[in-house]
Amino acid sequence: MKAKDQKEAENLVKDIQTYLSFRLGEETFATDVQKVLNILELKPITKVPHAPEFMRGVINLRGNVLPVIDMRVKFGMGKIETSVDTCIIVLNVAINGEEVMLGILVDAVSEVLEIDENLIEPSPSIGTRYKAEFLKGMWRNGEDSFIMLLNIDLIFSTDEVIMLQTKTEEAGEIVD
Amino acid sequence: MEAFREKFKEEANELISDLEQLVLQLEGNKTDQSIVEQVFRVMHSLKGGSAMFGFTLIDQFTHLLENIYDKIRAGELQVTEDILDITLNAVDHLRRLIEETDANFAELAAANKKFIVRIEQVLNQNSPKIENVRLILDDEDVIRKTKTYFISFDPSPDFFQDGSNPLFLLDDLCQLGEAVVVPKYSRIPKLNDIDPTECYMGWNVILTTAEGINAIMDVFIFTNNRSKIEVQKLSDINLLADKSYRKILAETLANKESIVIEALHSLTQDLEKIHSENETLIQRKSSASGHGRDQTISSIRVSSEKLDDLINWVSELVTIQAQLSLFAQQNHDAELTPISEEIEKITRRLRDDVFSIRLIPAANMVTRFQRLIRELSQNLGKDVLFETKGTETELDKNIIEMLVDPVMHIIRNSMDHGIEDTIDERVANGKPATGKILFNAYYSGTNVYIQITDDGKGIDLAKIRRKAIEKGIISPEVELSRKETLDLLFLPGFTTAQSITNLSGRGVGMDVVKRKISDLRGQVEIETELGKGSTVTIKLPLTLSIIDGLLVRIDDTHMVIPLNSVYKVYEYQHEKLEHAINNLILADDERVPAINLRKHFNFETPPPAIERVVTMEYNDHYIGLTIDEIVGEYQAVLKPLGTMFKGQDFFSGATILGDGSVALVLDPNKLVEQFAKNEIKIGG
Repeated sequence: MKAKDQKEAENLVKDIQTYLSFRLGEETFATDVQKVLNILELKPITKVPHAPEFMRGVINLRGNVLPVIDMRVKFGMGKIETSVDTCIIVLNVAINGEEVMLGILVDAVSEVLEIDENLIEPSPSIGTRYKAEFLKGMWRNGEDSFIMLLNIDLIFSTDEVIMLQTKTEEAGEIVD
Repeated sequence: MEAFREKFKEEANELISDLEQLVLQLEGNKTDQSIVEQVFRVMHSLKGGSAMFGFTLIDQFTHLLENIYDKIRAGELQVTEDILDITLNAVDHLRRLIEETDANFAELAAANKKFIVRIEQVLNQNSPKIENVRLILDDEDVIRKTKTYFISFDPSPDFFQDGSNPLFLLDDLCQLGEAVVVPKYSRIPKLNDIDPTECYMGWNVILTTAEGINAIMDVFIFTNNRSKIEVQKLSDINLLADKSYRKILAETLANKESIVIEALHSLTQDLEKIHSENETLIQRKSSASGHGRDQTISSIRVSSEKLDDLINWVSELVTIQAQLSLFAQQNHDAELTPISEEIEKITRRLRDDVFSIRLIPAANMVTRFQRLIRELSQNLGKDVLFETKGTETELDKNIIEMLVDPVMHIIRNSMDHGIEDTIDERVANGKPATGKILFNAYYSGTNVYIQITDDGKGIDLAKIRRKAIEKGIISPEVELSRKETLDLLFLPGFTTAQSITNLSGRGVGMDVVKRKISDLRGQVEIETELGKGSTVTIKLPLTLSIIDGLLVRIDDTHMVIPLNSVYKVYEYQHEKLEHAINNLILADDERVPAINLRKHFNFETPPPAIERVVTMEYNDHYIGLTIDEIVGEYQAVLKPLGTMFKGQDFFSGATILGDGSVALVLDPNKLVEQFAKNEIKIGG
């Protein structure tokens, strides 16, 4: 307790940002909490034929149609197998300057973190699966786990995070 | 202040559009005083507003323009082509002036100066040249509008004290129209008792004026309260026009010091009877010319944002109502069911009413076409009359906005290729020298049709065919039906024009027209008869945001097929469909190609034993869509799928179903088009 109080006091003088972390497979990611509008339980998703694989479909969000993106597919991890923990995080992202509401399907929502900007480490440019520009950086969470902080706007502005193979599949479909 | 200026701009733009429309009307009916009157009034409002909000250029400009029409109004000038030309140019000029800022002030001011010189030329050159016909018309007009008033004016004794002069007021009265002024001497005392600073006189005035009672009262606006002023309408007609009456009247007034109004009324009645017969005659004439004199506009200006909000809410209400209906159906509650049905009825009503708010008459776009034809007639040297029918037909505002360009293009084509190049050519074919282009709008079912018809050369089918073969679009051995041949016109890069003019014939045209109209969920067709003319028909939905559809299911996905494209539904054993040769199924003894949506959309689950085929019309052919099951009829509120779905344009959007899940709305035309394209790709 004491240590926590001390930490909070320290927070006041540092550049603290709040992040929401979520799990995809074995890895943990986090997004700026300001982008998050809502967290929904999984509900039936209407599939849109001929859409790229990472587009899981659409759901009804208070009378509006909300596209849902499978973040695992987007990051090249293979489709999400739904469980009780599976969630849809509703985000407000800027795609090429336009505000777009969308949902991302994640394995589980973990926690809200307060992260000191000064402690964010740049992501290594070699050896990661993801293009460096989509990551704001890494943050050490405890002894040997890292959380990848996402540059969420950029991720949806392009089709290529790492997904060359989904693209070819898509092209194959059209010729079919 | 900025906000007010914006408001004024909005209003001014409307006024300018009105002006444009009026001037075009005036062109067809140059002697119609009432249009001139309206033109004048519009300019006047424009001038007033612009001066108030600091648009000095518009103020100066309209002032001069107004002078022209003032002269026309007074009969000193006649409406000529030249004046109409200038006014129409002025309309364009005004549109630029509205955008007046400090930055472009100098530039606009220079343009303004040039224009003003032109206007002044017009003002100075024309001397009155009035034809007989016109004179008669004018006379009738004056009699019709002019009413007769009786005014009794008794200034108070201290009338001169504040510097007023009753004679000036009488002068003002006489300016309003024709007047008979009879002085009243009864209050004048004996010479010895006269105080020179007091006013003892009174006047009775019989005034005939078209200005109305308010204008008369305005004359006396600054007189003090102790003066006695009485204004009464004697008759709705001009009594003074009758000379004998005038004489009797003056005598009566002179003899009787204080006039009994009743006596005057009885005097007028005989005359009115005679006049009323003439009156009806005149009225009949003027109603035949079709211009209502009192055009009161009873409308409210509402920002389109508010409207959009309202429509969104109603859309949500419709969605919720569908949920309620579903719930009521499932529960069979004797009390709930009638309530839910009642709500359904009201919601439908509300929805229709709210959506109709967004509808505006087609007349709103017609002015631009009229203008276009006028300009093209001059440029091309073709004499063409533009006729409109059904301009009161209402369409969604968004549709109208998106429709202007395609229709402009169609009209341009008609003017350029349709109407014959020379009058001789027309006359030789037994047609009137003046070409005709007809714009016709009408409702049919849940659609609006817009037709543009010209009585020109028509399109030579053989020529289209030749051209298509030449361009390698079709191979020489292909046999095409009449409609298929005409549809070639809508292909990109296709034009039959021999030479490229600056108007059309660049080959970017009908394909763009077709695409734009497809974007509106509409269809476009050409019908033609060689030597007689062509008709382009555009078929459009009434509104873009609600679709009457057939709710169907494939696997666990619901889809809505717009009802207007559905023709019939058939039931088949799965094996039959599976073994159908070349995907052709037998529907009512006709062989119809079917698209298996289950396969096409990559659904992996096994199909049901019995499948349904929905047939729809596509380019005069029937095409079937194989689905699992028909759920029912459904009114879909169309919601966009959003920017995240880019390549899925065979869905026009999605809609929320009663149970809260999402159904996809199919765009059958796009689907078939895409399917056909892929098939060809595989074949070739």
